[in-house]
Amino acid sequence: MTRIAVRQLRSDRMRTVFAVVGVALAVLSVTLLAGVGAGVVSTGNEMFDESGRDLWVSGGPIDIAPGSVGGFRNPIPNAHPLAEEIAAHEDVETAVPMAFQVVYVSTDGEGFETTVGSGVPGAGGSSVSIREGEGLTGPNTHYADGTYEGEMTRQAIVSPETAEEFDLSVGDTVHVGGTIANARRNEFEVVGISPTFENFLGTGTVTIRLSELQTLTGNAYDDRATLITIQTAPGANPEAVRDELAAEHPEYTFRTNQEQLVSLLERQAVVLAAGVSLVGLGVIAGGVLSLNVLLSMIYIQRRSLSILRAVGATRRSVVGIALVESLAIAAAGYLLAIAVTPLLAGSLNRIAFAVTGFEGLVRVPTYAYLAGAGVACGFALLGGTLGAWRVGRVASVSALER
Amino acid sequence: MTGPSSPRPLVVCTEVTRRYGSDGGPFTADGRTVTALDSVSLDVAGGEVVGVAGPSGSGKSTLLHLLAGLDTPTRGEIEVCGTTVGALSRRRRTAFRRENVGMVFQRFHLLPALTARENVALPLVQAGVARSDRRSRASELLAAVGLDDRGSHYPSALSGGEQQRVAIARALAADPAVVIADEPTGELDRETGERVLDLLTDVSDGRAIVVASHDEYTLGRTDRVVRLRDGARQ
Repeated sequence: MTRIAVRQLRSDRMRTVFAVVGVALAVLSVTLLAGVGAGVVSTGNEMFDESGRDLWVSGGPIDIAPGSVGGFRNPIPNAHPLAEEIAAHEDVETAVPMAFQVVYVSTDGEGFETTVGSGVPGAGGSSVSIREGEGLTGPNTHYADGTYEGEMTRQAIVSPETAEEFDLSVGDTVHVGGTIANARRNEFEVVGISPTFENFLGTGTVTIRLSELQTLTGNAYDDRATLITIQTAPGANPEAVRDELAAEHPEYTFRTNQEQLVSLLERQAVVLAAGVSLVGLGVIAGGVLSLNVLLSMIYIQRRSLSILRAVGATRRSVVGIALVESLAIAAAGYLLAIAVTPLLAGSLNRIAFAVTGFEGLVRVPTYAYLAGAGVACGFALLGGTLGAWRVGRVASVSALER
Repeated sequence: MTGPSSPRPLVVCTEVTRRYGSDGGPFTADGRTVTALDSVSLDVAGGEVVGVAGPSGSGKSTLLHLLAGLDTPTRGEIEVCGTTVGALSRRRRTAFRRENVGMVFQRFHLLPALTARENVALPLVQAGVARSDRRSRASELLAAVGLDDRGSHYPSALSGGEQQRVAIARALAADPAVVIADEPTGELDRETGERVLDLLTDVSDGRAIVVASHDEYTLGRTDRVVRLRDGARQ
């Protein structure tokens, strides 16, 4: 019977190929959609791990402030003293306040573009990883113990995307400011190229000292920051440190890397719901597609299966032939799909990178391949059995008379 | 398997009625009860070729399907090779058909994916016959129908007459006591049809052969003719 099933498949190769492609599409819809979901979570986790931070402090949502310089109202006031207070904890190695604001950037003081300006304290050495140049060097003269009256260092680190967009390299000068007017007046020297914040935000950035960003964007008066990142001391338990700091500073929220990622994802509830729905629909649509393909394929063969019944084949034999055919098509479709999945995932990654700036957003985990195999095999068994059962009902007499 | 030289009638139909509709049979499209066969009795002895004649819708195919165990009568009894077919379970009917009844169809109904030899051997696959034995039996039957050099050809490479000869060889593969042919020459020209009829009468030795046709020439080649009209014998 296996031989008959194989011969049936070989006798109409075009139909068999289409059925295999149909199953492969169903499996691909599962592997790729699951790959997108897994990739987003993995990328997020990696970004937090690579940041070298253990805890994140926030003070509530970042409010959009239309019409204001910088475009956002950062939620943590008195960030420098607060960071110093947190850093005084015995299990905290560093506490770094950071701010993000929209700034105007230009190389010639004429054609301005908006980009994300990020502010880091001190020399910024532990906050950003430098790819080229030395990064922020020398003391933070501008902050001047909170007076903001010292001279600006006028050092800037640009991200690779910003460097490419403005054709900047280390040693060049760039205009940066919260408004076009003050950007024209404020020239910075590019002292390094760093992908750190670009990786986080998925867009080009310009990093300068926190106090200088606060001054340029009108946040110096109450020392506002977006968040404070904490690196715990070696051997310290981040969760225990989190609990202690949270008890000391109940007005702020302290999160571990994992909690921060979950928090970020929770804010994208609609996107997440859409993603989950997409995966669910992918599985259902893929399954229904493969089931339909297999049912059609078996039903088209009803005459041949009826002949078998007429010459004495049992219904079990006919079902067996249908199952062998379905499973063979499912196996071939699955193998095709898993062969093509890495190629398509790579292409999707390139597209995703071009659109979002994030790398590795599509990563197909092992369970996605297993789910694909489940869809292929499960629906093959269902399709083969249902198809043969249906054919069995009309087999022999009626099908042969048509 | 019943031998082809049984002395008593191999096929005995007694007052056989088949209705479609309200009394257990499949419903008709408009929900009405249709009597496809009405109290038909028929005996066919071993070695006898009996023609079943009648216009379209007269009940010929219904009778043949009942004789082959593809369907069961609403009333009456059909005995083939001493077994009451209607009393068998569906599974046993299938096995019974495989062992005792060979079928030849108007449209040949060969499996296009299999070669002529493989088509002939098909009933032997289900019977559990060893592969080498199946192959030699199929070759022997193909030689008997004059197609010994066409065994490896697919049906699409055979003419209509050749396909019908392959179908006859397939019907004889399990050495059945009864051969049922439904319009075996319906798709063939006169000359080819005549050769097929020669073949059918040649293999009739000891077997009960029932041939349904509305072609008088075909019916003229049988030993006797049973005529049906509106499901009843005339």
